[in-house]
Amino acid sequence: MRIYEHEAKQLLRQAGIPVPGSELAATAAQAREAAQRLGGPVVLKPQTMIKARGKAGLIAFADTPQDAGQAAGELLGREHAGEKIDTLLVEAKVAFAQELYLGITVDYTEGCPVFIASREGGVEIESVAQEHPERIIKRAISPGQGPTREQVGEIADFLCPPEEGGVDRSDELRRIIAALYGIYTRFDCEMLEVNPLVSAGGSFLALDATAAIDEDALFRQAEMVLPRGQSEAEFELEKDHRKRGWTFLRMEGDIGILSSGAGITMAILDLMRAGGGRPANFLDTAQMNRQGIYDAFHLFLDDPAIKTVLVNIFAGLNRCDDLALGIQDFMTEYRPSFPVVVRMVGNREDEGREILRQVGIEAIAGLEDSVTQVIKITEGLS
Amino acid sequence: MSIIAFKDTKVLVQGITGGAARHHTKNMLAYGTQIVAGVRPGAGGQEVEGVPVFNSVAEACQSGPIDASILFIPAAGVKAAALDAMENGIKLVVIVTEHVPLQDAMAIMEAKRSLGATIIGPNTPGMISPPEKTMLGFVPARYFRPGPVGLASRSGTLTYEFVSRLTAAGLGQSTCIGVGGDRIVGLRFREALRKFQDDPQTEAVVLVGEIGGTMEEEAAELVAGGAVTKPVVTYVAGHTAPEGTKVGHAGAIVSGTRGTMKSKLAAFERAGIGVALEPAQVVELLKDALK
Repeated sequence: MRIYEHEAKQLLRQAGIPVPGSELAATAAQAREAAQRLGGPVVLKPQTMIKARGKAGLIAFADTPQDAGQAAGELLGREHAGEKIDTLLVEAKVAFAQELYLGITVDYTEGCPVFIASREGGVEIESVAQEHPERIIKRAISPGQGPTREQVGEIADFLCPPEEGGVDRSDELRRIIAALYGIYTRFDCEMLEVNPLVSAGGSFLALDATAAIDEDALFRQAEMVLPRGQSEAEFELEKDHRKRGWTFLRMEGDIGILSSGAGITMAILDLMRAGGGRPANFLDTAQMNRQGIYDAFHLFLDDPAIKTVLVNIFAGLNRCDDLALGIQDFMTEYRPSFPVVVRMVGNREDEGREILRQVGIEAIAGLEDSVTQVIKITEGLS
Repeated sequence: MSIIAFKDTKVLVQGITGGAARHHTKNMLAYGTQIVAGVRPGAGGQEVEGVPVFNSVAEACQSGPIDASILFIPAAGVKAAALDAMENGIKLVVIVTEHVPLQDAMAIMEAKRSLGATIIGPNTPGMISPPEKTMLGFVPARYFRPGPVGLASRSGTLTYEFVSRLTAAGLGQSTCIGVGGDRIVGLRFREALRKFQDDPQTEAVVLVGEIGGTMEEEAAELVAGGAVTKPVVTYVAGHTAPEGTKVGHAGAIVSGTRGTMKSKLAAFERAGIGVALEPAQVVELLKDALK
């Protein structure tokens, strides 16, 4: 779960990592007043989930409070990639010579945190990593011990070699590196990066920061759960889905998919697209029982784009008859306008088939057959 | 033979008094698994399905030898329970729980490395060795038959789908392992492949992958390097999955271009591994490989 730049910077500030002076503004007047208080030129940065704001032309610079107000007026209310800009971070503009990169993420292969640093930070850092891997250092960190003194020293010296410039800045960098790791663990980050980290006015400053919190750790990071880049309704819906154990992703298509298990659901999407069908969603529901399947059907009920629904049941541990009752409950109560195709095999399969026949559904045993069938029915409807 | 878990493997169930744990303990016992003890703080002295319950892993270990533990523990308690098992000398830990926090998973993997243990999972239905009548987890045992095929899968539901097809086609299994659906898991495809290679009963291996992560590429590199000579057949789900939304640059710097479907299929091709593009092809490819 990504957080806003201003939230990430607040975490840095609390941990003692210097960031430029800034204020949030939701109106042009607020932006003008913020620039007035900050004094001097400012940068206006939309607080959105939009990536690469600079490349999208969504970052503005202003030399005077009047300019800041005007630039804010132009940015606020704009829509980009489906998201409306409603808040700006008005930040003191900083002059700098060099952009450094400092980040921590997870090496999923080795299962440990990894520090990444480069003297060539900025937006091109990924191509630097591809084309000049020697300009990047990566250090695997012991999750139990954290970075060792040697590792912190190596990263600091790599970012700011001691011989250059005369002044020894390594203590300051070491503190920043250690503080960044502290944030990473304290807030269950899956990634945390400062890009760029610059040297200005005799101090290092974090000009931009990105952080993502591990969603599986939200039970102990409850204060971080806020609506971001979404409406209140979308936020509540997402919370409800999480509570129910649903991973639901609405896509473009018209065939609803009710299935349990990420692997088999992806396989169904693959088969469906290969056969010319358009899946409407990805769904992985943990609750495959009578109530759970009944509840999950509601995901399709008020969606006018849904033409058909494919249900996949492989009842290895649960029972076909129990799940069939959930389908029967739904069909009887709502009499949905969309035809339902059910693939069903497993425990008490014959009993389950009999229950489905009572609501006019003939269950299919083969996975591929069920996908072919639902595509055929959907094509017949259009 | 099988790999990792055998008929004489003595198993502990942590969190044995919970509803799901009781149910699965009963099924594991019925299949033939030697469950010798359970743990639940405060419930010492009780019995679940005839299995004695202890207050701690240490107490359970004093009652007799224990080779493996399976955890039925909520996500928030998994780290402590897994470390407890490993620190008491248990060398095989199966973690079925999903939604284990990343930083907890990393701590578990570090302990695994330093204590020389094997972790299966998290987020797995577990594993089953049909020739040994041993199951650590909750796979639907009736679909499994003893035989020559080793299987390792990132997906529980696809495991059942494929195993039912293998069994229907007369292809039994030596051991089937759900390696876990999480981004960080213990036993990876490459370790499973090495063990299947060393197991005389396994004649061919099925790897069931998914888009994302690097396990498929690692397995392909192992095969390409010559360490695995038995035939390997793969299926990877997610050909049409949308690319995951990327946050920041750090992830891309670490994984580079690995993890995409293109990268996985290219790696398998370089290694000469048979790729089933659709589920039905897995059985066909295996039959060819076993001729």
